[in-house]
Amino acid sequence: MAAVESSDEDLAARAAAGDSSAFEALVACYRERVFRLARRILGNDADALDVAQETFLSAYRSLGRFRGDARFGTWLYRIATNAALQHLRARGRRPVESLEDYLPRFDEAGTHRRTPEELRVVARLDEELDRERLAERAREALQRLPEAYRLPFVLRDLEEMPTAEVAELLEVSAEVVRQRVHRARLMLRGLLSEPAGVAR
Amino acid sequence: MIAVTCARGVELLMDYLEGVLAQDVSAALETHVAGCPRCLAFVESYRATPRLLRDATAETMPAGLARSLHEFLAAHAKRES
Repeated sequence: MAAVESSDEDLAARAAAGDSSAFEALVACYRERVFRLARRILGNDADALDVAQETFLSAYRSLGRFRGDARFGTWLYRIATNAALQHLRARGRRPVESLEDYLPRFDEAGTHRRTPEELRVVARLDEELDRERLAERAREALQRLPEAYRLPFVLRDLEEMPTAEVAELLEVSAEVVRQRVHRARLMLRGLLSEPAGVAR
Repeated sequence: MIAVTCARGVELLMDYLEGVLAQDVSAALETHVAGCPRCLAFVESYRATPRLLRDATAETMPAGLARSLHEFLAAHAKRES
């Protein structure tokens, strides 16, 4: 089977030379990752499918420009992220919900207001909720996160891209990526503890 | 000696975990967290948050959508060849 015997870069070179089975092998290999990335950023299957289609079509048309000096996966991921960003921009600005209330709370001395048991709630969530309920809560929390925080969080923490790469993709500094990912984690932690309402 | 409160510890946490904090600040943060049950619990839940989100949103592409993608690409490839 071609996908097993050839590297992605070999497959890309063969696809660029007109071998359609090589391109199909690349699509089969990467479609799940591209779809998952788009689904996490955009929040629904229909938009994620659009992004996957645009990504692979754009890659197909650009194969001649892929020089093989970068990993094929990295190159494709960059196309997919940009396609997802374009989708977000095309949606236009949506009202942004303030999530300040979900940040941790402290007393005048700067000490956590909550008890250790209350503060630990989120760490036990996967033991307390079934898989389906947890997935639903996670999806909902992620989509409530303002885009300025959701994008760096998805790329850095969920897709596990290096901070420098996320900074380059989003055209901000590494410091800004760290600040936004940190704030995203704090807000998501608060959102995930919402029904209990005690974990901030 | 640098004094770290729970609030300051929360501010520094990401940079600490990324390894970009100055050594003396890291040491002060570690000392505070080691002696603060609230911060120990907070750090546990803070670290769990991305892991929970990552696992819970690792959805696979529905078979129907995968089929749609392949059909879409095959149609374009045919048109453009």
